[in-house]
Amino acid sequence: MKTIFLSLLLVLSLLGCKKKDDTNTDKDLPDEAFDKQALLINIADNVILPNYTRFESDLNMLNATFQAYSNAPTLAGLDSVKIKFQAAYKSYQHISLYEFGPAEQVVVRNNFNVFPTDTTQINSNIASGSYDLNMVSQLDAKGLPSLDFLFFGRNNSTAAVHALFASSANRRNYVKQVILDMKFKADAVIAGWAAYRTTFVSSLGTDVSSSIGYLINQLNFELDYVKNAKIGIPLGKKTLGIAVPNNCEAYYSGNSLEYAIESVKAIESLYLGKSTEGIDDKGFDDYLNHLKIQRGSEALTSAITKQFAVAFSKLNAIASPLSQQVLSNPSHVDAAYVELVKLLVLLKTDMPSSLGVVITYQDGDGD
Amino acid sequence: MATVTKTFIKYLKQEVSIAPLVIFRIAFGLLMFVSILRFIAKGWVNSMYVLPKMHFPYYGFEWVKVLPEAGMYLVFFFLLLSSLGILLGAFYRISTILFFVLFTYVELIDKTNYLNHYYFVSLISFLLIFIPSGRNFSIDNILFKRNDLNYLPRAYILLPQLQMFLVYFFAGIAKINADWLLEAQPLKIWLPAFSHLPLIGGYMEKVWLAYVFSWFGCLYDLSIGFFLFNRRTVYTAYVFVVIFHLATALFFNIGMFPYIMMTITIVFFKENFHQTILNYLKSWFKYKGAAFVKLNTKANVSRGLMLGFCFYFLVQCLLPFRYLLYKGDLFWTEQGYRFSWRVMLMEKAGTAFFYVKDGKSGREVEVDNKQHLTYMQEKMMATQPDMMVDYAKYLCKQYSNHGFSEPEVRVKSYVTLNGSGTREFIDPEIDLSKQSNSFFKNKHWVESY
Repeated sequence: MKTIFLSLLLVLSLLGCKKKDDTNTDKDLPDEAFDKQALLINIADNVILPNYTRFESDLNMLNATFQAYSNAPTLAGLDSVKIKFQAAYKSYQHISLYEFGPAEQVVVRNNFNVFPTDTTQINSNIASGSYDLNMVSQLDAKGLPSLDFLFFGRNNSTAAVHALFASSANRRNYVKQVILDMKFKADAVIAGWAAYRTTFVSSLGTDVSSSIGYLINQLNFELDYVKNAKIGIPLGKKTLGIAVPNNCEAYYSGNSLEYAIESVKAIESLYLGKSTEGIDDKGFDDYLNHLKIQRGSEALTSAITKQFAVAFSKLNAIASPLSQQVLSNPSHVDAAYVELVKLLVLLKTDMPSSLGVVITYQDGDGD
Repeated sequence: MATVTKTFIKYLKQEVSIAPLVIFRIAFGLLMFVSILRFIAKGWVNSMYVLPKMHFPYYGFEWVKVLPEAGMYLVFFFLLLSSLGILLGAFYRISTILFFVLFTYVELIDKTNYLNHYYFVSLISFLLIFIPSGRNFSIDNILFKRNDLNYLPRAYILLPQLQMFLVYFFAGIAKINADWLLEAQPLKIWLPAFSHLPLIGGYMEKVWLAYVFSWFGCLYDLSIGFFLFNRRTVYTAYVFVVIFHLATALFFNIGMFPYIMMTITIVFFKENFHQTILNYLKSWFKYKGAAFVKLNTKANVSRGLMLGFCFYFLVQCLLPFRYLLYKGDLFWTEQGYRFSWRVMLMEKAGTAFFYVKDGKSGREVEVDNKQHLTYMQEKMMATQPDMMVDYAKYLCKQYSNHGFSEPEVRVKSYVTLNGSGTREFIDPEIDLSKQSNSFFKNKHWVESY
């Protein structure tokens, strides 16, 4: 008797839902479940890997151009080195956010882009000619920021920088070592992805150590890093409102703002699943739209799209270089900062909480 | 009335087989040993009790302090030792007291790590102190040459049974809310994340499935305790217990909990089931309990003890309802949320930006939470107002030590609850470091939901 009643439990719950279901027909999703694997394949093959390849090829170009300059230093040679360097720094912005898998093993962010760079350490390395770039103590004396300093210098004309290089084999050698260090590491990441791709596209869960978990966590780590390190800290958010222009990324070339914008573009490309050729395929926006996620009266994706647009317009409204604007026009910088914060809330809280993605970098049991 | 009470007391004192409690003790000791070993192996002692620069104390338990690294590992070593003690029935009373005290101590250090199932373990180990389940098939009996105790008053078996009943029942009561039953939230958010699973994956995005799971979960929690207590339905009910907990183990990251519940629910099984296992174990280990000379004293249950347990269960029944004394939405303010068996009940996430202002100059800095908190702490803090107050007080002290005069701490925080979309959570103008977590105060500075 009681056994029958117990079995009724299931039936009862089925009935209970049936009734409720009718009131929610408007929210019914497409018959086919969202293909998470297609999203991961698109992001791996059309977003992550082409960006790595582009960065690698820019790095190779820089390497070759600098070798040529080093062998026969000319003013024009230095100019083309600078152009190649800026191209590489720009394409770096599109790989920085994928620090998981092979990139996590290589520790890309800390090896490629620690700023402000330690100019004293760089000068002493060059003077002594003996250094091991693999040591942790050299993290802020190498990578792209060290080249930014060496190629542009503080208020130095190209001629002055050229003179320094022309007269010092140690200096030329240091740059070669820095470039080789990056090339070695970039090659390792790309080689690692050859095997990792299979793991990546077949991990379909949403926990912390799933591919979607990695992507969303790193996307937000990067946005947080843009907001804090690239904009907030120079603006004085951590220093009682007193600006710290030296802490700008690419302080010496003055490309800070361009690279910050490029970072946000990289975040947007990942979110949209947009390839290096500009083709927008399966991304997180498609996932959210598939699940018909609302935020108030509008779709969450429309709120996010709008916020990306506002953030870009406020960033574009800042004049260059950022290091001067944080002193002379902080309100413009602050306006962009405020919009980045809003974007961060949408991407770090609304998006994962709608997808059931655990946003934490630490493992643990829930209740 | 008097006869009812008398019958009830007689019922409680009725002698029943000790076997279910012996098996219960062994199962619990074994599960705790494995769980604690797993906890250490996963590096959680380090990430939860060594790495953090600050801890979030429970209100009224601010005096509970974390020990240095070696001390914490020693605590966990003794937890392993005492769980073995419970398993083997070795120095049973000392082992149970030690386990309860140390486990509860670890939990009280930081509410970041609050889990209903840790609370449950504390309660069960507390009850075990009083339950003489180490009087049969135990090392103690061998050491002290006591013979086995075969019967004890029914009251003792009722303790773990009633405790488990309450866990299920209140988990069911907690599910009776509009979000859970009418909106199928948060399952409507959680289930689609499993659309890649083989066989069942295709159904995970179906809205009706979220309703089935919600309603089934609610009815299951409310009724399963009754079916387990009934001797005629206990085995059928257990099939449901296994299905339910395997499902939760598949869908949620809840560690050992499903396995703990599945295993110790067998305390509801009939006596002969436990007796068979016990006899088998005894012959397997060549345990000769009856050969000992000393007579094991009869296990009594005193009136005082019975009254004490009545009080204990009364408190257990009232705690989940204390939220009614507070204003505001329970899920939003979380005042009265813990210690109430609200298990996997909501999808809540947030981001919090803290600002510390120098009282004299009026200048302000934005805090980098990562410099002060672990990721887990930051995540938990961002949705729980009482933790924000603790953090604000800590920041106030830190910045004061770094030369800020009369620091004021503000927070801009955004929280989404069951897919509501982020909303402002805390009044951004208020100095959080001056607020209180007192049980007797409403958190008026939490924005209304």
